[in-house]
Amino acid sequence: MSLATTTDETPQRRAIPRWAGALAILTLLLAAALTALCVGRFQIAPLKAIAILLSRVAPLSADWSVMDERIILLVRAPRVLLAALCGAGLAAGGAALQGVFRNPLVAPQILGVSPGAAFGGALAISLGLDGFALIGAAFGFGAFALLLVGCLARVEGRSDTVMLVLTGVVIGALFAALVSLLQFVADPNSSLPAIIFWLMGSFSAATWARVGVAAPGVLIGMATLWLLRFRIDVLSLGEEEARALGLPVERDRWLVFAAVALIEGAAVAVAGVVGWVGLVVPHAARLLVGADQRALLPVSAALGAAYLLLVDSLARSVTAAEIPLGVITALMGAPAFAALLRQTRRKELGA
Amino acid sequence: MIGLDKAGVRRGPRWIFSDVSFRLETGRILAVLGPNGRGKTTLIKALAGLVPLSAGRRIAPPVIGYVSQSIGADIPYRALDVVVMGRALGLGLFGAPGATDYRAAHAALELVGARDFAERPFDRLSGGERQIVLLARALATGSPALVLDEPASALDLANQDRLLRVLKDVKRQGRHAILFSTHLPQHALSVSDEALLMLSASEHAIGPTTTALNEGDLTRLYGLAVRRVTLDLDGSAPIDTVVPLFAGAAP
Amino acid sequence: MIWAEFLGVAALLIGCAAPLRAQASCFDDLTARQVCLDRPAERVVTIPMPSASTFIAVDGAAQRLVGMHPASKRAIDEGLLGRIFPQARAIDASIAGAGSDGFMPNVETLARLDPDIVVQWGDRGDDIVGPLRNAGLTAALLRYGTEPFARGNLTLMGDIAGKPERAKELIAWRDATIADIEKAARDIRDGRRLKVVFLQRAASGLAAAGANSYNDFCIRLVGGVNAAAELVGAGAVNAEQIAQWDPDVILLNSFEEQLAPARIYDDAILSATRAARERRVYKMPIGGYRWDPPSQESPLTWMWLADILYPGAFHFDLRAEIARAYRLLYGFSPSDSDMDEILRIRTNGDARHYERFATSATR
Repeated sequence: MSLATTTDETPQRRAIPRWAGALAILTLLLAAALTALCVGRFQIAPLKAIAILLSRVAPLSADWSVMDERIILLVRAPRVLLAALCGAGLAAGGAALQGVFRNPLVAPQILGVSPGAAFGGALAISLGLDGFALIGAAFGFGAFALLLVGCLARVEGRSDTVMLVLTGVVIGALFAALVSLLQFVADPNSSLPAIIFWLMGSFSAATWARVGVAAPGVLIGMATLWLLRFRIDVLSLGEEEARALGLPVERDRWLVFAAVALIEGAAVAVAGVVGWVGLVVPHAARLLVGADQRALLPVSAALGAAYLLLVDSLARSVTAAEIPLGVITALMGAPAFAALLRQTRRKELGA
Repeated sequence: MIGLDKAGVRRGPRWIFSDVSFRLETGRILAVLGPNGRGKTTLIKALAGLVPLSAGRRIAPPVIGYVSQSIGADIPYRALDVVVMGRALGLGLFGAPGATDYRAAHAALELVGARDFAERPFDRLSGGERQIVLLARALATGSPALVLDEPASALDLANQDRLLRVLKDVKRQGRHAILFSTHLPQHALSVSDEALLMLSASEHAIGPTTTALNEGDLTRLYGLAVRRVTLDLDGSAPIDTVVPLFAGAAP
Repeated sequence: MIWAEFLGVAALLIGCAAPLRAQASCFDDLTARQVCLDRPAERVVTIPMPSASTFIAVDGAAQRLVGMHPASKRAIDEGLLGRIFPQARAIDASIAGAGSDGFMPNVETLARLDPDIVVQWGDRGDDIVGPLRNAGLTAALLRYGTEPFARGNLTLMGDIAGKPERAKELIAWRDATIADIEKAARDIRDGRRLKVVFLQRAASGLAAAGANSYNDFCIRLVGGVNAAAELVGAGAVNAEQIAQWDPDVILLNSFEEQLAPARIYDDAILSATRAARERRVYKMPIGGYRWDPPSQESPLTWMWLADILYPGAFHFDLRAEIARAYRLLYGFSPSDSDMDEILRIRTNGDARHYERFATSATR
């Protein structure tokens, strides 16, 4: 199966100018962010919510309560930012990896980073740690898992993609087993439910401090991927082609992996394991703009952010209970992925 | 200029080829001939820097315009974008192609007569068209050396003809040393100045095409009787060709 | 009545007539299965976490308990029970894992303990019961989470220990306490009913006890309203949701050791709830067992909750009640500092209305 088919030189592609497409996607992202800011269990009128936000930059007379202001500025605003950051990062990371691996089934967790980070987080919870100790442990073990994959996949100074994927699966399974072990020994009254909920992913603990922790990792990772956009395109031709064009394939690939690990580690650290975003969103983005990373990366990032904002809005406002993100992303992601695959295949056959 | 100096590649205890020496100047074409499994592809890859030499030395510019034997139909980019990737090395780690690079890519497509392909998706082109586009990408690298691995093997006669014409055109510009491998001695006779016959792992015949492709060596090379014939065509110079006597030649 | 006497005499006669046959006692467990013991159980193993302390309370001793769940052991080691019954600290707790799937017993470890009866969950599927049956062990199954089940469990432990009258006594105490509380709670007007949120989890992520929880029962019993009644079970919630509920009182679970009211007072959102503004955030006490889930000590939980929710309507002298209850349950007289520990005076001391639980000396 190919990564995706380029859209043919069809009239509709020409009918939508680049700037209009970019504007539409940006509008979608902005609308998702505003929606996320305005919905929630605490009743605040949307206009009031926006006014509270604007009051930070413009002089507005306050006709809202302290609680209203705290909910918007301390609960929703960081949560919206965090969801958008993680969504954008995970989707961009997925798009880059699918390019480098020339494989549409690859997602950021393939490198073993997220099982590693999941183990780190679960370990922190079962030791009774939270906050930054938890984030640090998740991030540290995520990086450690990538390092393990890197060392094990390298044979005679080189690591081909199949070896990498298989090693990633092996290391992922190892850390998944360690997580199960932690669950087995965890206190069923306190840490076990906390571990289980954290593993399913949630932004419910979002604070500005957490945004501060996650943002550098996600932004540096995304910026690196953006700078490498053309390299990733060339890498997606295959190892030999890229080497023939004079590229140090091994080094470039690891640069991409490191950037993705940075994003994934930061995201898992603050939000737990949020699956599917990095797998599904790049497919949708490719259907829209094709496989060229120069368009795919920003569009994946914007769609990923909008998607996760929407999912998180549902997670925190549909019922009084927080629904774990992983449940919604999988419930929405699986059928969406199936539909996208069929659409892609139909396009391939229709050529 | 491109060449090898007493070069060899070994896989385990077995030499794929050894002691190959030649030099190819710009403005000239060298054809590499040999039966299946004799190491043509390994030689080409070694020359392109993709396979390390076990012995000897490689003389080559920093980047080679390399066209591999078959590039899959799963490259989801515009032909123009595939061509512009030839510029990758010069753009640096974080670079992306700019207007200059696209001009170079257009020029390369122009040179191989594939201007019309620019906007078409690479995976929608026919095999022959893809080879032409990849040749353009090789040109877009700006390398003075082009190395092509059996560029015509998957093409029908018309497309083989088209490819050979493009190679001739490029040669005529005088800026490239062109090396290609082929199964058909006719290809060598029609465009190349020199030919390299891989008779065995350690024995090679190299020389001007017309002398290197003698009946004796060709018969040895392919293990069947091969005849050189000259065809007189009305109104133009006679042309040399090669006829393999398949299945004993007579029915 | 005459018939009953007659039957009793007849049974006695049959018992005398067949002195070689062991005296079998049969009773129902909470899944309505009949359990028969040839003689009163001398070696008891409990797998459900609260059962160990319940059995010790009903039996009034820890000698007959030979194995328990590691989480039960932790509660005994941390709480008062380990001090009251030092021999309980030596009981084997290696029969099961602690975490998920932790109720799957290791049958061979169990068999080594040679138990007369094994108490197991009856509402968590047959997979954790089958191995016991298969090994030929006698199992009694219990169910958990509601007041009727709590009473059923006391009865079951009484039956196992051969002390059904003890169970009746403990149940009578529950009845009397409920009657007392209901009488006073009836006078609380609907407009004055306090909204209470019980946080089942607060250290990492928040979870509140929903409608069908035991905490919901306790809150309603003393005349409060469970603000989180729209949840089912223990639902994960966010701070925003709690702000929307704006509870008058926040109760913190006793399971998370590090958890203290400061968690609420230091939170930007939760500190703005009425409960935090009025300093009505309390951590659940821990006595012979934790006070949040149903246990033999539940009546103390109700009195404690009634006192802090409606100090004007209820006037339980909790220290005296604890002293009386512990004599009844464990034959133990707690000291003032034991009481401080049970009531978590250090953690809850400066919360509103908590001064009424101070020692008479400092009051």
